[in-house]
Amino acid sequence: MIILQKNHEHKNHYKKIKEQDFLKKKISNGSILTISQWREVEHIIQAQEIDVAIEFSSDACILCENDKLSKVAMIQINFKTFKDGRPYTFAKMLRKKHNFTGELRATGHIIPDQYIFLIRCGFDSVEIEEEHKETWLELLEMDEGLYYQP
Amino acid sequence: MYKYSDTDKKIIASRVKQFENQVNRRLEGKLTEEEFKPLRLMNGLYLQLHAYMLRVAIPYGELSSKQLRKLAFIADKYDRGYGHFTTRQNIQFNWPKLPDVPEILNELSLVEMHAIQTSGNCIRNISSDHLAGLTINEIEDPRPWCEIIRKWSTFHPEFSFLPRKFKIAVIGCDEDRAAMLVHDIGIRIIKRHCQVGFEIFVGGGQGRTPIIAKKIKNFLPKKDILNYLEAILTTYNQEGRRDNIYKARIKILVQELGIERFKSLVEENFSKLSNKELEIDKKSIEEIFQYFRLPPLKSSSDKIPLEDNQEYKNWIKQNVIPHKIKGFSIVQISLKEPKKPPGDATSNQMKALAKFSEDFSFSEIRVTHEQNLVLPHVPNKELFNLWSQLKKENLATPNLGLITDTICCPGMDYCALATARSIPISQKISNHFNNYCKQKEIGNLKIKISGCINACGHHHVGNIGILGLDRRGEEFYQITLGGSAKEDAAIGEIVGPSFSETDLIDAIEKILNTYKKHKKNKGEDFLSVFRRIGIKEFKKDLYDNFTEKS
Ligand code: HEM
Ligand code: SF4
Repeated sequence: MIILQKNHEHKNHYKKIKEQDFLKKKISNGSILTISQWREVEHIIQAQEIDVAIEFSSDACILCENDKLSKVAMIQINFKTFKDGRPYTFAKMLRKKHNFTGELRATGHIIPDQYIFLIRCGFDSVEIEEEHKETWLELLEMDEGLYYQP
Repeated sequence: MYKYSDTDKKIIASRVKQFENQVNRRLEGKLTEEEFKPLRLMNGLYLQLHAYMLRVAIPYGELSSKQLRKLAFIADKYDRGYGHFTTRQNIQFNWPKLPDVPEILNELSLVEMHAIQTSGNCIRNISSDHLAGLTINEIEDPRPWCEIIRKWSTFHPEFSFLPRKFKIAVIGCDEDRAAMLVHDIGIRIIKRHCQVGFEIFVGGGQGRTPIIAKKIKNFLPKKDILNYLEAILTTYNQEGRRDNIYKARIKILVQELGIERFKSLVEENFSKLSNKELEIDKKSIEEIFQYFRLPPLKSSSDKIPLEDNQEYKNWIKQNVIPHKIKGFSIVQISLKEPKKPPGDATSNQMKALAKFSEDFSFSEIRVTHEQNLVLPHVPNKELFNLWSQLKKENLATPNLGLITDTICCPGMDYCALATARSIPISQKISNHFNNYCKQKEIGNLKIKISGCINACGHHHVGNIGILGLDRRGEEFYQITLGGSAKEDAAIGEIVGPSFSETDLIDAIEKILNTYKKHKKNKGEDFLSVFRRIGIKEFKKDLYDNFTEKS
C-alpha cells in the first residue's frame, strides 16, 4: 500500500497501536488510536510532542461536541464500501464544526473515480494499492477544476 | 430556454471523457461490475431485462427542436426507432449497446444534453411544472430555480453516494402539476407579506412505502435555498439508513425520527454549516431569469378557428388551454394513442414535432410528468392547421386528463423487476374506452398502472391505481381508489381482493358505475365523489358478497 497526497506518493508513518502497548500507555509517534482510546489518553498526549492519529470506520463516523482534536495530527477514515457516502459529510463536519486542521486520510474500499470528490470534501490523502496508482493519477489529471459548487 | 455557459460545456465534455474511460476500464476488467454500477448509473445507464437502458435528462421538461431532433437521431441510430418519455421528465432508450454509450453521450452533449444523475443514489434530474412560465396564476417561474438547483446538485462531491436516490421537484403556483408532494424534497414558490420565497416539503415518495411529503419550512428566503437543501442532504447523508435498501429513502428517516426531530437536526445544520458562498445574490438570480423569458409573443385578439369538424372540436376542448398571452394557446400532445405504450414516441413523431415546434411554437417543446408533450406557445389562428398536421402523425388523440390518458410503467415487457405486465393493461383500457363521448361522460380521471410494488407507474396516487402482482405464476391486479398526485395529494386505498386480467375491465366498469350513481351534478369528478362517499360504496358494488364489518 502507498499513500497518495494529490499527485505525490509518500510512505506511511502511521501504524495501529498494539493492544498491550495501549494498556501500558506506551503511545509513540505515529500511533493510530480508536476514538475511545483517544478519549482515554488525550490528557497525556496534550503534554507530549508526538503525532498520533485516530481511525474511524465509515459506518461509525461519530464525534461528540467536546472531543478535542487540536493535538490530533491525522484522522483516517476506513471505507467499509466505496458506496458508503457518510465520510464525505463527516469530513465537512471535521473541518467546519470541529475545526480539525490536521491530515485527513481515506483508506479501505475506495475507487479512483472518487478521488476528486474526496479531495473536494476535505480529504488530503488516500491509501491505495501501488498497482492502481496510475489510474488514480490519470483521473486526477483528467480533472479540469471546473465545479458547480464553491 | 436555458443555454449552456462555457463552464457547462466543459463540465459536460469532461464528463463524457470520464465515462469513456470508465467504460474502457470496465471492458478491460479493471473495474468490477459492482464498482462500475454506481458509475454507470450516475450516467443514466441501467441494466434491464433484455439490454441496457439509457435514461437521458430533460431538465425541468424543456426541449428545443434541435434537441428533440437529436433524440430522434439517437432513437434511429442506436435504438429501435423510438423513445419512452418517463414520469420524471426524462426520456429512456431501451436498446443501446454499452460500447456505443460514450458516443451517444457525446452526441447529446452537442445539443447541450446529458444523462447525468438520471439514476443512482444521487440527486436526480430536477423536475417541474410543464406549464412553468405560461399561466397567469403563477407566482414565479420555477424553471430558473430548477436550473440553480441542477447546477448545485451536479457532481456534488458530498452527495454522490447517498443512502438512496433523491428526487426534487419545484413548482411556482398553488396548483401542483409536478407531483411535488411525492418527492424527497418538494419546493413551492410562495408569496408572504409581498415577499417571494419557498415553502419546503420533505420525505414524500412512492415505491413500496408511499408517503406524502411533510412541510418542513413555512417560508424560506430565496437567497438561502441552496444552504437549506444542503442542510437537509447533510442530515440525510449522515442519518439515513444504509442497512436496508427498502428503508433507505429519506421518507423513512423522516418517519422514524418524526418531522419535528428531523427538522431540528436540519435547522442545526443550517445554522452551523451554512456557507456564505452558497447564498444566491440578486444579480445571479436575475441573470438566470434572463434565459427563461418568454419568446417575443405579440398579444392579439385572434380567436381559435371554428371548423365544422367534430374531431378537431374535441381536440380543442380537451387538449388546448389558454396561454397567459392573449391570442396564444398551449397545445398538449397526448402520447396515449390507443395502440401504443403510454409515453412512447417514434423517431418520426419526434422529427415531426420538432418541425411543428419550429413552425408554430418558437422551437419549444415541453415534457409532462404524465408522459405527454406540450407545444407551449401556439398562435390561436394556427390551431386548425397544426391539428391537421398532428393528426397525420397520430399525435392528435383528444384525451388529456381523461380515462385513457394513463400513466404506465414498462412492466414485464421490459423491466427485470416486474411482477406483471402493465403496458397491455393500459392498452386494454384505451381500447375499451376508446370513444371520446364515453370518456367525456366519465370526466377527469387518472388511472395509473405499475408492474410491481416499486410504483414507477405512480399507482398509489392514481384516482384509480392498478398494481400488477404475481400469484403463483399468474398475473393479478390490485386496485386502489382515491389517490391524487396534485396539491390535494393522497395515497389511494386498496379496494379489496385483486382481479385477474380478464376481470379487470369489468371491475373498472363497476367502479365507474358506482361513481355515476352517486355523482350529484355533471361537474362532480371521480375524486370528489370518492371523497364524499368513501370506499365502502365502491366495495359494496364491486364485490357481490361484500358485508360490512362492524
Ligand atoms: C425499467 C427499468 C426501471 C427500473 C429497474 C426501475 C426501478 C425502480 C425502483 C426499484 C423503484 C423504487 C425505488 C424506491 O422505492 O426506493 C422505482 C421508483 C420509481 N420509478 Fe422506476 N424503474 C424503471 C423504469 C421507470 C420508468 C420507465 C419510469 C417512468 C415511467 C420510472 C419512474 C419511477 C418513479 C416515478 C418512481 C417512484 C419514485 C419514488 O420512489 O418516490 N421508472 N423505480
Ligand atoms: S414499477 Fe416495477 S415493473 Fe414497473 S418499471 Fe418500476 S420496477 Fe419495473
